[in-house]
Amino acid sequence: MIETWYGIVSFMLITYVVLDGRNFGVGILHMFVARTPAERRQVVAAIGPLWSWHEVWLLAFGGSLVAVFPRLLASAFAGYYLALFLILWCFILRGVSLEVGGHINDRLWQDFWDFVFAVSSLLLAILFGAALGNLARGVPLDRHGDFSMAFFTDVQTVRGNVGLLDWYTVSIAVFATVMLAAHGATYLALKTEGPVHDRSEFYGKWLWTAIGPFLLIVTAETWFVRPDLFASGVGNPLSWLGGIVILVSAFTLLSGLRDRQEMRAFLGSNFLIIGLLVTGAVTIFPVILYSTLAPENSLTVYSVASSPSSLSTAALWWPFGLILTVCYFIFISRRYYGKVGVCRGNQNHY
Amino acid sequence: MNSAFSDPAFWNRLQFAFTVIYHYLFPQLTMGLAWFLVYWKWQALRTGEEKYNQAARFWAKIFGLNFTIGVVTGIPMEFQFGTNWADFTRYSGGVIGQTLAMEGMFAFFLESALVGALIWGEKKLGPRNHFLAAIGVALGSWISGFFIIATNSFMQHPVGYLIAPDGSLGLASLSTFLLNPWALIQFAHNQTASVVTGSFVVASMGAFYTLRNVYPTQAGLYLRAGTFAGLIASLLVAFPTGDQQAKMVGDYQPVTLAAMEGRFVGGEMAGVNVIGQPNVKERRLDNPIVIPGALSFLAYGTFQSYVHGLEEYPENTWPDNIELLYYSFHLMITMGTIFILIMVCANFQRWRGCLDSTRWLLWVLMLSFPFPYIANTLGWMTAELGRQPWLVYDLFQTRDGYSKVVSNGDTIFTLIGFTGLYFVLGLLFLYLVGREIYHGPEDEGSSHHGKESAL
Repeated sequence: MIETWYGIVSFMLITYVVLDGRNFGVGILHMFVARTPAERRQVVAAIGPLWSWHEVWLLAFGGSLVAVFPRLLASAFAGYYLALFLILWCFILRGVSLEVGGHINDRLWQDFWDFVFAVSSLLLAILFGAALGNLARGVPLDRHGDFSMAFFTDVQTVRGNVGLLDWYTVSIAVFATVMLAAHGATYLALKTEGPVHDRSEFYGKWLWTAIGPFLLIVTAETWFVRPDLFASGVGNPLSWLGGIVILVSAFTLLSGLRDRQEMRAFLGSNFLIIGLLVTGAVTIFPVILYSTLAPENSLTVYSVASSPSSLSTAALWWPFGLILTVCYFIFISRRYYGKVGVCRGNQNHY
Repeated sequence: MNSAFSDPAFWNRLQFAFTVIYHYLFPQLTMGLAWFLVYWKWQALRTGEEKYNQAARFWAKIFGLNFTIGVVTGIPMEFQFGTNWADFTRYSGGVIGQTLAMEGMFAFFLESALVGALIWGEKKLGPRNHFLAAIGVALGSWISGFFIIATNSFMQHPVGYLIAPDGSLGLASLSTFLLNPWALIQFAHNQTASVVTGSFVVASMGAFYTLRNVYPTQAGLYLRAGTFAGLIASLLVAFPTGDQQAKMVGDYQPVTLAAMEGRFVGGEMAGVNVIGQPNVKERRLDNPIVIPGALSFLAYGTFQSYVHGLEEYPENTWPDNIELLYYSFHLMITMGTIFILIMVCANFQRWRGCLDSTRWLLWVLMLSFPFPYIANTLGWMTAELGRQPWLVYDLFQTRDGYSKVVSNGDTIFTLIGFTGLYFVLGLLFLYLVGREIYHGPEDEGSSHHGKESAL
């Protein structure tokens, strides 16, 4: 049951990253792909109606984590205290900028909110990337399973009393940001037409080209930081499966970009991210938060799980929630299907 | 250094209280307003009259702005269970996490999929589906409310749990947990209170336009729907839901009821204190005006019933802010009574057909809209202050629940951040809502093109 729940919460988090990651990417590229106010409205319209639905995946993931792995959530959230509040404030700013940016047809008003949207999206991508780096590298968990981490201690070392930011987590943050920007560009190429489409296609090609060597670098870095992960990864058939997903989707993505098959490229982009995260999730299992101070302090899924009755009860209602969610997904996919043109200077598109 | 300011529990409580009170200003309106939208969409479908669509369109814009601020200020609430209340999460996550997760799965996905369709999709969806979207959003917001009430009710009156070998709580029975008697009564009380807020806001807008002599058709609709629903909801919020809520507190948290009433000594023929200032040090109520026997009657059904006083309980189980608890409860009751009076007058004048010309009453209605917000807030303060010193009643104390690794410096930093950010959000919200009100309900698509280019 504990393994099943590890799978379910990983599924929810990965779904969140893939869905909202495109919105972060769109935000990062916002000021580059759209150069006139009308084009900016077009970009916002391409993600406008759905961002909050995507964000709900994070809330559902968080709620489920409280229910099934409460000790993980407690340790991680209290330990990352300040970083989490930065994430929260960026979420507030991003949500408000998307919702009120189009409310008033005034140049200054829209410029301001477009800027807020771009900056908050960039910060969110960097912060989530750094969080992912921390998950891989580990955090200074003490014997009680607690930690309280500075933003940075000694950026040159990745072991012992580490901070939130060091050379490893920063490079993962940059990697994640580039990756999400590429993902966003692929989405915009699929979803828009006109100049925004052409520029997105251009940026998408270059960003994905950069991802190749970048992926090799962060893999080598991870090998250096956590050699034990590779040993466990090689012996795990599921991580081989993840590797196959990565290869197939990378091929799909590249052929989609080459043939200008936007849907194919976008699917490849989605599954590439899914493949990477799935490989990561099965490789770290069963350790869910690694201790850089002493490996025996690490939190495993077994030590953070709530009581068996809580897990089995949650497993009873969760599938019904998933079925409903799939229905909503079909509804909104059909409703917001198709390309978004250059707007008529307002938000009446949906 | 033994002051309240060095106590981490104080700062964590203050931050949670501030963020949750601010957050709840928005959902209480959307939960109440959602059913007005359903009603007007239904009337439009039934009669085919355009004025109902116009009303729904106007209020959907107000709804949308409230929904946005409600969403963005709601996310920090869930995060704070982990960041600020880590030990509470470790202890009770297996139970309260269920409803937090269910809120996401069963309410938020539904609401966020449909709210865009409700606000912008009228043409594309057609009248029937647009009506269904309004129902979906209303249901979503109430389901969401139920899960939060169920979570809170577990903290007020824990049921359906088991204690695991490591001392933390697990879920024994989902149905017992969800059908907690506390949850059912508190849900009824809270939801009717949200309809009170919605009704007063709608009626207030009608009064405003009537006094300004603009949009007479729309203003008439708002006044009619607002005062009618307002009367029903104001009555229901007091009786039976508020009455039942107080009885329930008397049954399960007698020490809380004593503190709410500022009652230090127990006895028969207990009176309701209409006015008076609790003096905890001297253990008495200063300057009291009392209705004899009323409390005995309200809490236990007869004038002779014995009502407990605080002195019968050990002092360390008393709520830790008796003064604020007492004032919250009493002000809520006072306001609730005034709401009934206002709505009775308004309905009487409307029945006589002269509400539109009773200017003093329109002024009262127009100016009254902030008070249901205050009364709702005071109700929650009564519930939360009354639960102290417990976080989970009789099981787990508040001072054991906060995150031990987070320093006061961190908490105060984030509290300052929230204060600044929420201040700006408040200004933004008031400006945008004010703009919609100024443009009025008959200005089609005002917010999206046209006039503003002159700004």
